[in-house]
Amino acid sequence: MAGRVIFHIDMNSFYASVEQSHDPSLKGKALAIAGNPKERRGIIVTCSYEARAHGIYTTMPVFEAKRKLPALVILPPNFDRYRAASKAMFDLLRTYTDLVEPVSIDEGYMDVTALSKERDAIGIAEEIQLRIRNELDLPCSIGIAPNKFLAKTASDMKKPMGITVLRKRDIRERLWPLEVLEMHGIGESTARKLKSLNIRTIGELAQADEGTIKSGLGKYGIRLRKRANGEDERLVDPDSVYDTKSIGASTTLPADETDDRKLHEAFRSLSAKVARRLEAKALSGPTVTIQMRTFDWQNRSRSATLRNPIYRKEEIADAAITLFDRHWDGTPLRLVGVTVSNVIEKQEAAEQLSLFDFEKHAKDEPVLRLMDKLESKYGKQVLRKGTGRRRIESVSETSFSKDFLDDHERE
Amino acid sequence: MKFEIMRDRLLDGLSDVMKAVSSKTAIPILTGVKMDVSADGISLTGSDSDITIQTFIPAEEDGKEILRVSEGGSIVLQARVFGEIIRKLPTNEVEIEINRNFQTHIRSGKSEFHLIGLDPLDYPQLPDVQEEELFSIPADLLKTIIRETVFAVSTSETRPVLTGVHWEVKDGELVCVATDSHRLARRKTKLQSLQEEHSAVIPGRSLNELNKILHDSADPVEVVMTSQQVLFKSRNILFFSRLLEGNYPDTSRLIPSEHKTQVTVNGRALLQAIDRASLLAREERNNIVRFTTNGSEEVEVSSNSPEIGKVEEQLAAGAIEGEELKISFSAKFMMDALKAIDGQDVVIQFTGAMRPFILRSALDDSILQLILPVRTY
Repeated sequence: MAGRVIFHIDMNSFYASVEQSHDPSLKGKALAIAGNPKERRGIIVTCSYEARAHGIYTTMPVFEAKRKLPALVILPPNFDRYRAASKAMFDLLRTYTDLVEPVSIDEGYMDVTALSKERDAIGIAEEIQLRIRNELDLPCSIGIAPNKFLAKTASDMKKPMGITVLRKRDIRERLWPLEVLEMHGIGESTARKLKSLNIRTIGELAQADEGTIKSGLGKYGIRLRKRANGEDERLVDPDSVYDTKSIGASTTLPADETDDRKLHEAFRSLSAKVARRLEAKALSGPTVTIQMRTFDWQNRSRSATLRNPIYRKEEIADAAITLFDRHWDGTPLRLVGVTVSNVIEKQEAAEQLSLFDFEKHAKDEPVLRLMDKLESKYGKQVLRKGTGRRRIESVSETSFSKDFLDDHERE
Repeated sequence: MKFEIMRDRLLDGLSDVMKAVSSKTAIPILTGVKMDVSADGISLTGSDSDITIQTFIPAEEDGKEILRVSEGGSIVLQARVFGEIIRKLPTNEVEIEINRNFQTHIRSGKSEFHLIGLDPLDYPQLPDVQEEELFSIPADLLKTIIRETVFAVSTSETRPVLTGVHWEVKDGELVCVATDSHRLARRKTKLQSLQEEHSAVIPGRSLNELNKILHDSADPVEVVMTSQQVLFKSRNILFFSRLLEGNYPDTSRLIPSEHKTQVTVNGRALLQAIDRASLLAREERNNIVRFTTNGSEEVEVSSNSPEIGKVEEQLAAGAIEGEELKISFSAKFMMDALKAIDGQDVVIQFTGAMRPFILRSALDDSILQLILPVRTY
């Protein structure tokens, strides 16, 4: 594992930059992308650096942003544009190496170890940054480090248009004095847990007793402690983009909701959305999770694992509503979500029949027998029932959607 | 109240009644064990309000003195603590004395514990089961019946009635059925003392606990049923269980009466072959094996998991009659069923790759196991 050179490429205020490149008159202006501003879902998804200078930030409610900066230009998201720009960016990265791992629509890792034997790594990074700027008219920051964690940390250090090298020997000086909350992988709740162990800075985490960390935070804590010491063995995996593990959808409700019929309706429509996306990817999964965010921003989730992987909207909705009815205590909810996880390709799935449903499968027996005969005669995969490989053009409907990953065609 | 008792006898009784005690009870006093002491002996009672177990330790057994009572009385003690104390006492002689305010002293050797007891009057009454006995059954046969059916109950609460075993008494026969809707186990038992008709659904958990505390002997167990409770009475144990409400589905019409393929095969050999094939299953939920008839004398058991590898095994069959067959099913369900039949030769009857199939012993048809196949895509 010694001597790797990993890049983390992070597009700067990606959605806003794409809009600015699309309409150059927006350049230099305070610009924000937000969901539907009429409903409450109007929060800022991204904003340009000009807007940030005025105190506008991601997740800020639109009305508040408008009050703070009346000149702020607010645009609705245009996901097709972002997906196209994302694809062009990753295609450009792949001209350097196949070892490119997209993480989300606007960031990814590259392993340039081989390439850096011939050329200076900083030179490669400068060239990539320049080409993305010249060819795509988009700004990005690049972190250069011996592993993913440090590369990601580095790309964050100078924005926009930064190139930062972070060596393992630098962490004592540049990482350890920072608060743990500044570290990737540590959120509010982990920071709180660490605080209860008297750990406030990344340096304290790095030097903490391993047993204490393990009993307080489990395996995840051990991993964080390693990262704090600049250790991260994860490989750059170009295929990880294809390993969808879960598919989910969530929605912020127009008002804090207490009416269970309306909440059931929300779960049904989210289930339909999840079912559509599972269908588009020919996936199914046995685990259904519901998310509930209460009016005072408490997040709760509950999940159930069924015997058979499911993909139909009715089945997903049934499981979600059963979970909801069992666990909701009447607290007003501002957001609900549904996720199907542990997904596998439908072709690999198997369904345990039940006394109460086998008859509808039994109807297919003559067809299956015929297929069996043909297969044993002509070999497997000669035919499939229905249109097994069909792929419905899916529409990205949320900013957190990972459907952009469909754009990365497997060779 | 004051008495002396042999520690191991008290511990045996306690460990039986503790099976009914749960730490997660809505009624705080049920975390305790009730002890009633009289000149005849000690009754211990534990309950979680679904299951109630009472054991009796006689003062004298086969002419041997087990306990010596100086003064009778009743007390409720925290089950977990009391059990642990008795388990760890230094000698086999224990003296227990209760003063006013339920102060309890436990002495053994040079060790003395003071425990705070609870008022026995606050402890719930035993369930009211006054009815006549329905039938009597040897303990070892009862244990066998439980073992052959209870594994097939549902573990999911979506249809609560399926978490129990349906006991139906009719025409001088006891028919026990359990199903989780993916497989079904049925056991028929002819019993002499059967007269009335009765039908009840006994929670699977109750039967599992009952199986643990009954000894493997031919001693009779009396079964008494009301509309809400079942009581199993053996020599020194009373075991009460709440019954499940709701109608149990009529399973008799779900059991196919005809078949298209019949395979007779050695049960033990098939069990081992399935066990081997399931080694390649990635995880329990995908524990699927494929079963194929191969001419008229052989079946093939195979399993394939894309990430690990595949396995095929030929198995000589006693007889194969009817249509060719290829079917996939859960290895676990098949192994459970074969273990329950525990016979030499097993007859398996299939009606199609997407329909339930049944297994029974070639020698008698008191046990029937039904399994729904798995559809692979």
